Amino acid sequence: MTNKSVGRFPDPHDFKVPKELEGWEDMYPPQRLFSQDRAEWEKRHFWFQDKIHAPEPLYPLDDIFQEAWQIALSQYTTRVFCIPPAQGIAQRIVGCYMYITPVEPPPPEVIGKKAELFGKRVPYVFQNYNKLWEHWYDRFQELGKEMEALKIPSEFDEFVPEHEVMPIPKGYTQAQDLIESFNTIISLIFKAWQFHFQYLNLAYLAYLMFVDTARKLFPGIKESTIGKMVAGADVSMFRPEEELCRLSRLAMSQSPVSKVLKKDVSAAEKIKELQGSEPGRMWLEEMERIKNPWFYVSCGSGWYHYEGSWVTKMDVPFSYLKSYVERLEKGEKIERSLTSISEERDRIVAEYRALIKSDDDRKSFDDAFNVVRSIYRYAEDHLFWVEHWLHTIWFRRIRDFGNLLAKYNVLKQPDDIYLFNRFEVPMLLEDLATSWALGVGAPTRGKYWQEKAAKREKILEAARNWHAVPALGVPPTEVSEPFTVMLWGITTETVSEWLKGADVKGAGELNELKGFASSAGIAEGPARVLKLLEDIVKIQPGEILVAPCTNPSWAPVFTKIKGAVTDIGGLTSHAAIVSREYGLPAVTGTGVATSTIKTGDIVRLDGSTGIVTIVKRAK
Amino acid sequence: MAEKWIYWLRELGTEHNNIVGKKCANLGELTKAGFHVPPGFALGVGAYERFMKETEASDRLLAYLKTFKADAHNVEDTMKFEAAGTEMRKIVESIKMPPDMEETIRDYYAQLCKETGKKDVFVATRSAGPASHPGQYETYLNVSGPDEVVRNVQRVWSSTFNTRSIIARARLDLPLHHDPIGVAVLTMVDAKAAGVMFTVNPVNGDESKVALEASFGFGEAVVSGNVTPDRYLVDKVTYEIDEKVISDKGAEFVYNPATREMEYKELPPDRRKLPCLEDREVIELTKIAKKVEAHFGCPQDIEYSISRSLEFPESIFLVQARPESVWGKKKKESVLGKKTGWQLLFEKATTPIKLKTD
Repeated sequence: MTNKSVGRFPDPHDFKVPKELEGWEDMYPPQRLFSQDRAEWEKRHFWFQDKIHAPEPLYPLDDIFQEAWQIALSQYTTRVFCIPPAQGIAQRIVGCYMYITPVEPPPPEVIGKKAELFGKRVPYVFQNYNKLWEHWYDRFQELGKEMEALKIPSEFDEFVPEHEVMPIPKGYTQAQDLIESFNTIISLIFKAWQFHFQYLNLAYLAYLMFVDTARKLFPGIKESTIGKMVAGADVSMFRPEEELCRLSRLAMSQSPVSKVLKKDVSAAEKIKELQGSEPGRMWLEEMERIKNPWFYVSCGSGWYHYEGSWVTKMDVPFSYLKSYVERLEKGEKIERSLTSISEERDRIVAEYRALIKSDDDRKSFDDAFNVVRSIYRYAEDHLFWVEHWLHTIWFRRIRDFGNLLAKYNVLKQPDDIYLFNRFEVPMLLEDLATSWALGVGAPTRGKYWQEKAAKREKILEAARNWHAVPALGVPPTEVSEPFTVMLWGITTETVSEWLKGADVKGAGELNELKGFASSAGIAEGPARVLKLLEDIVKIQPGEILVAPCTNPSWAPVFTKIKGAVTDIGGLTSHAAIVSREYGLPAVTGTGVATSTIKTGDIVRLDGSTGIVTIVKRAK
Repeated sequence: MAEKWIYWLRELGTEHNNIVGKKCANLGELTKAGFHVPPGFALGVGAYERFMKETEASDRLLAYLKTFKADAHNVEDTMKFEAAGTEMRKIVESIKMPPDMEETIRDYYAQLCKETGKKDVFVATRSAGPASHPGQYETYLNVSGPDEVVRNVQRVWSSTFNTRSIIARARLDLPLHHDPIGVAVLTMVDAKAAGVMFTVNPVNGDESKVALEASFGFGEAVVSGNVTPDRYLVDKVTYEIDEKVISDKGAEFVYNPATREMEYKELPPDRRKLPCLEDREVIELTKIAKKVEAHFGCPQDIEYSISRSLEFPESIFLVQARPESVWGKKKKESVLGKKTGWQLLFEKATTPIKLKTD
């Protein structure tokens, strides 16, 4: 690496990305880039690549979620609940990848002031969580409905219809609808992300507190065991899969339906065939009934427009339905047993509790457990509603704008809208609206936008082929920001592991990876590296899944695989939770698994130690 | 009626500590509680006392000691004690046991053969004192046939006159000619592997773990420290094997039928680094250890053997259980300092996590 390094990772200000990426800065607003004017502050921080939220190069419009969480996550720590020594998380983009840093602690007098507010505000949340959650849920539903209801024209009228002119004039036209709807949808997505973090910081903090408490009592307790103790079983995140199981059973009771579902044809053809029979229609009706919200689940992380959701890629849920029906026919059980999951959790908690020797400690343990249990399900529930349900709506509505822009040749294709950031899209829309308003024959700058889009697509392609460095700047000596520890798993070990990974460029040399021991057990087998859910069809039984991270829509995959390895995610990440439930070994948060392991490599993972070994490289 | 001096293990419990010694009392307790213990019988300290009193043993020992003068605190006198020990053991072993005692031991042994379905069943004759004297007295393994059993019981008695025992008594100003102990006569387990386990992690006192050590062959290899054993750390609640260290075990402690002695036999290179336990055995042992701890109500130090001829899980035998001596005695003080959940949360929120970045 030719870059000069400060500490052990390159200094972001001197860091040069490959020349194929030239012009990437143009895609993002200036406040999101490293800058000389902020160099002194930036140099004091440790910037690591955020592979949870941005494992892939960022399309400018997909960057909006990142912008939104930078504000929302940070403010709940600094200005709302006031976690005393912690500050927010700042973001920067380098070569289309996002790097983040926990901001250095505030001055001591601020810590004191925050402690006072923390003491007043935080207990309220824990004492009233159930009520607060209901309130949260209602408001979030409203927000989603509002986004669904936005008026986005599918085409421009040649002339405004009569009823908008008389008897009561509307007073404005589609041009205004277009501009206004985009402004509103931006405002709504930012607000949704404000809600996203309403209780998340505290849920994570409570979890970390419980880990500490359990460790003091049982120095050797595994974090995977703690995960089992606090995790909820009946959370929204698992509902989509449960609905699939239910639909599969329903199909089994109507043999014409299950026969169609088992066919090797597309979802569209299956739906068409089902419409032709009474039982088929009834089954489809049931599916339609639950589709919103339970099929509003991303096929990926929910962070990228191209991932799609079940509702937009019906082949995905239909492939699961096929395998569920086949398994039911073989007499297998397809549902997770909620009862046995909760019974196992209760047993573990009770047995550990019984091992505590002093009455005082048992009391503190109970109290700590109640604190974490009272709020922890938020960490699992919010995920479905924000990243999956609402993002599904968002992507569909944004595509409506894209369709319109493509229809009038401002863009070549609808998805090209994602090549423009949220400050730029209004320019395109205004351009289009102006051209319509001007009358017949007034040109847009379509050519200019389309050339820009093509150039940006090339840059993103180059970025995908670039093995971005895991971190920049100086590793910190201490961290108090709860997300940094819990979500990104930043510890002494991860930092040094990244340093190891940073030295070997890409795959080939590193043969042992270390991550979180998320689900106990040992598995060995051929690796299947999956970056997109669409590739899921390639997975063979007995393979070991290697992915950047997984999410609820991946759940059915876990019945096929022998074990799971992810780049990102701690012990309460989706992959960790599901693996524990299916009794599969899992190592999460390795940082470099998808770039180090190749499909076909024989890997061995030990879910008790967190070590993944590449036993044999594929030829 | 004469006082009872011989017992089946199943007749014993911890309340018999002073009569048959801790080891036998505990093994009896384990047997009664339903644990898998090699069948056997125990001679109480009363048997030792009868032997000494009813034969000329005591008189002859006392006569010998009249001329013996040595200072136990003076290292240079060690040789004198050694000579005395050899002489005293010779005296004890040369005396014939009272006929009714010998007859009784033979009867018990015959019954043991019948119960185990084996002719001349192999047994171990072990010392068992009311107070713990680890490693002080002798144990004789692979004893077979009634004559040998009788002879070796007597050898265990005479081991109270081995050099280290008489020096120990001399230093404490205790009588040198008399130190009643019990003797355990236990059927041998044809051990393919054996070892010890603690129901607490001896490294940090974590009571949610069972720490196991195991080596090929008989357990003496692990207990004596002559072999580096395989080590396991298992979670008592989840039964996950947290740590597994397979060592180069070098040798196994086995019976040599030719010499009729126990000996260390070097392992062939391809076996040295093989795990000597299967994972399912490790998990089963952990479950057993948990039950033993629950039965006695405090952390335990347990010796086990795994038979090569029996099917899992019948193959697993407990051969010893006693309170763990380090962590078991520590007073349990609060580690969380009487804090409420809210206080713990506040503490967490205000304490940054240090990262080592040098």
